[in-house]
Amino acid sequence: MIFRAVEDTDLIRQAGRGAVEAFNLLVSRWEKRVYNYLLRITGNREDALDLTQDVFLKAYQNLRKLDDPARFAPWLYRIAHNEAYSMFRKRRPEVDVSELEPEGTETGIAVGGGSVFPLELSLAVAGALKQLSPEQREAVVLKIYQGFKFEEMAEILSCPVSTVKSRLYAALELLKIQLAPVKARGAS
Amino acid sequence: MSCSPFDLRDYVFQELSATERKQVDVHVKGCQNCREECERLRLTEAALFSLRDEEIPQRIAFVSDQVFEPSAWRRAWAGFWGSAARLGFASAAMLSVALVVFAVVRPAIQTPGPVAASQNGKAVSVSSAEIEQQIQAAVDRAVASSEARQRDKFEQAVAEIRQQDLKERQQLTRFADAAIDMSTRRNLLVERSSYDFPRADKGGQQ
Repeated sequence: MIFRAVEDTDLIRQAGRGAVEAFNLLVSRWEKRVYNYLLRITGNREDALDLTQDVFLKAYQNLRKLDDPARFAPWLYRIAHNEAYSMFRKRRPEVDVSELEPEGTETGIAVGGGSVFPLELSLAVAGALKQLSPEQREAVVLKIYQGFKFEEMAEILSCPVSTVKSRLYAALELLKIQLAPVKARGAS
Repeated sequence: MSCSPFDLRDYVFQELSATERKQVDVHVKGCQNCREECERLRLTEAALFSLRDEEIPQRIAFVSDQVFEPSAWRRAWAGFWGSAARLGFASAAMLSVALVVFAVVRPAIQTPGPVAASQNGKAVSVSSAEIEQQIQAAVDRAVASSEARQRDKFEQAVAEIRQQDLKERQQLTRFADAAIDMSTRRNLLVERSSYDFPRADKGGQQ
């Protein structure tokens, strides 16, 4: 008998055949990441949780449309992105989506409490992220916190790779300037 | 401005191929500016990591409900129609089957000419003569019918002209009679007017 770890692709195939337990296992592997992605672009815990549930429900309903199980992550995040922006539009239909800011004051900050980083730095980072445009912030979240490649980000955001890079690098320039004093103090 | 052969940000964020990465590795070792730029980018990235992921407040799980769960047949059906490739294949297969069935089932087209010619040359000549005869007869009938129609129309037109002519003659006769009558009356009036009535002054002179 050969033991091997059950991979996402196995679970996706089983879930596609109607195995709810396999899908639940898949959810347990991805729910925290999807929740944190949504938390950082919506800035509201309740919204993030509701949206996460909606995302996985939609994913279950449309799992058969996923042709390549290896592309599950960008496919799932594409659903999450669409759900979040759909919510933004419903709430403020008169405002252009690119101009929308997270509603809540909580920007997904989990500072202190055993973090190896000083509280001051975490607060500075949260503040600096808030200064970015929603598109720049989402690019930073997908690249830095979720670890996607540029091509995957382009698929999730439905835009060219050049646009993704431009958003991310513009955001990093701003963050570098904003966080430089804090880093200097932390280093000293 | 970076002097690196490739974008240092792509290098730091692991977006370069292995070969490109090696080239930048070599460059960065010898270039202090690029080394410092890479360091700044890594510090920014590290600072961003100071924000930790949160735990999800409520775990998500789905329950299989036999009432709402679609049947295996329905899932297969939905899955079939959900795939464009399968749909295309099914369409092509149905078209192929339809073509084969049509080729097998369709009635043979009747072509008596060539068959008769191959079996009996005389039959073809008779058949052609008959056809010619029939065509000629049809043409004759059509011509006769057309001529008859033309003749009828012509006779009708002649009759109308004659009748019109007769009417005009009668009218002319009436006019002539009236003219004669008028002339006669005029002569009579002239005769009467030329009658020399006796006048008082004229008679006095005489």
